[in-house]
Amino acid sequence: MSDVARSTEVAAADSKASVKPQAKARRGLWSASRPMIDRYKWYEVAALYAGLFVFLFFVLAPFIEGFLVSLKPLAQLFSTPYSFIPENGSFDAYINMWTSVPMLGMHIFNSFFISTVVTLIVVAVVVPAAYAFARFNFAGAGLMLAGFLAVNMFSGAVLLIPLFRLMRTMGLLNTYWAMIVPGAAFLIPSSVWLLRTYMMRIPRELDEAAWVDGASRLYTLRRVILPLAMPGIVVVAIMTFIGAYAQQFIFALTFNSKTEFMPLPIGLFAFFGKQEVVWNELMAASFVGILPVMIVIVFLQRYLVAGLTAGAVKQ
Amino acid sequence: MSQLSLKRLEKSFNEARIIKGIDLDVSEGEFVVFVGPSGCGKSTLLRMIAGLEDVSAGEIEIGGNIVNELPPVQRGIAMVFQSYALYPHMTVYENIAFPLRVEKLPQAEVDSRVQAAARVLQLESRLQHRPGQLSGGQRQRVAIGRAIVRQPKIFLFDEPLSNLDAALRSEMRIELMELHKRLGSTMIYVTHDQIEAMTMADKIVVLNAGEIAQIGSPLELYHKPDNLFVAGFIGSPKMNFINGKVRAADGSNVTVDLGKLGTISLPRTSRDVAGQDVTLGIRPEHLSLDGGQFVIEITPNIVEHLGIHTIGYAILPGGENFIGLFEGNPDLEDGKPMKVGFDIDQAHLFDSRGLAVY
Repeated sequence: MSDVARSTEVAAADSKASVKPQAKARRGLWSASRPMIDRYKWYEVAALYAGLFVFLFFVLAPFIEGFLVSLKPLAQLFSTPYSFIPENGSFDAYINMWTSVPMLGMHIFNSFFISTVVTLIVVAVVVPAAYAFARFNFAGAGLMLAGFLAVNMFSGAVLLIPLFRLMRTMGLLNTYWAMIVPGAAFLIPSSVWLLRTYMMRIPRELDEAAWVDGASRLYTLRRVILPLAMPGIVVVAIMTFIGAYAQQFIFALTFNSKTEFMPLPIGLFAFFGKQEVVWNELMAASFVGILPVMIVIVFLQRYLVAGLTAGAVKQ
Repeated sequence: MSQLSLKRLEKSFNEARIIKGIDLDVSEGEFVVFVGPSGCGKSTLLRMIAGLEDVSAGEIEIGGNIVNELPPVQRGIAMVFQSYALYPHMTVYENIAFPLRVEKLPQAEVDSRVQAAARVLQLESRLQHRPGQLSGGQRQRVAIGRAIVRQPKIFLFDEPLSNLDAALRSEMRIELMELHKRLGSTMIYVTHDQIEAMTMADKIVVLNAGEIAQIGSPLELYHKPDNLFVAGFIGSPKMNFINGKVRAADGSNVTVDLGKLGTISLPRTSRDVAGQDVTLGIRPEHLSLDGGQFVIEITPNIVEHLGIHTIGYAILPGGENFIGLFEGNPDLEDGKPMKVGFDIDQAHLFDSRGLAVY
């Protein structure tokens, strides 16, 4: 039985003995079957949910409106008075978008592909780097970490022109690499910081015990540190993937002009026609484009939770 | 021949000298305990022997070879850490097998050694569990198991029992002593707990501020402390110290003026202490309520009744704290003056440098 279940049961038993018997029948946030610290008055619960609703509505409103737009026929979008609720709503836009922009599938794949490669590169680089920064004392470690922070203060946009010249010199313009290399470069510093902090929480004695038992540094990293740092690594991977997805726009816009390499954010421009913007299909394409990210996150989150419970470092 | 010997061993971190020249010989099969207050360098010394800290000066010799530059695994040592340092993501089996996996031994060999260690430590039913599911004592045994499978020449223990509660600690103490008997290997054990030191050690090394204060068997340290530090450190409750001044030292007796407590004459041959400020030491358990060769009057301000013992705390006229420990349940009361006495040959005398006067 879980601790939570046990403690609620104990609380329930207490209330049966001391409080009036009808208290145990009620359930919910204010119920007597909860431990004292988790009990709330009904109006406190109402206020909590109201607060939650306001916050969520604020965050999700654009998505809700976007989704509603994707269901409406184009004509209805420009009607006055504007109606938020679609009349004769349909999923036609989700079907038509594939024909009005034939490369859409390719764009979605590109987005996914670029983010995946960036994530793989970042994780491969960040794990050993974070271990080194967490465990070794070497000259310039502090300086480099400070440098990483400094790099993070520049957004990619400030450095576009130098980056462009660099890409041109290296012949990377109009390739996938033009979007992958700067994408990875800008995401590595913050990930090193994040994972370094995580690894510093793994007791140094584990490294020492392994060293006493004859393990090399690399063996220790592989067999001891990596499994224990897995939750941290998953967080880095998720953040990198999302970051890579979000920052593609600017690099793709500047360093790439080939339609077949374009990721989704640029690909969406194809819905901007000469006469009009096909808003409903644009929104539909956006939602379908986000889908892979959603799937990846849901998939990785399972590992995140599993890792957190299995890797209890505390002795 | 000694199995481990330290020669003028020193360790400095930047400017700070942590270990200030240690000489020590440990013979095969000995159970040696490093004991001292926190910050005395005992853990650092152990880590130097293990190969986790490098040596600033001096030599570490194991089995006749200088091992200063060798990594731990080539020194033939195994270490048990204070926090056990178990790998939380591995089963007990894999934890114990870890050193063998590093050596890349064949699975059959790994299995037989792990099973043997598990049998010795009564962990057979726990092999498929993870450390998180074990109690403190079992985790401790897993950590020991990981040390045993390597079949090292020397075991190093860094305060292995300090994370356990009192009952478990005394249980594990017995288990460790039995293990030492069964394996017959050399063990070096670091602790700040003098009970552990007194009960387990063949030889105690008392460390103070990076230097050896005294080396000896538990009873030697108890009966013949070389200096004030050892006298105060070994024994619980702590030895009472009374400040005094030597009136006369005639080669057979030393007469010490204890101020308001009177004058005491101790059989000591030293003449050098004449006129010095000295410290008289008497253990609380050597005091008695019915007379003695030297009697003083104290007024306890706190009395503790423990059933088996009764402990009275008082402050002497000179301002020193004074503790008396008496058998059974005598009639002591806060604020009620009482006479306590001791025999002259139970008293210790230390000169102005804190060294024992003989």
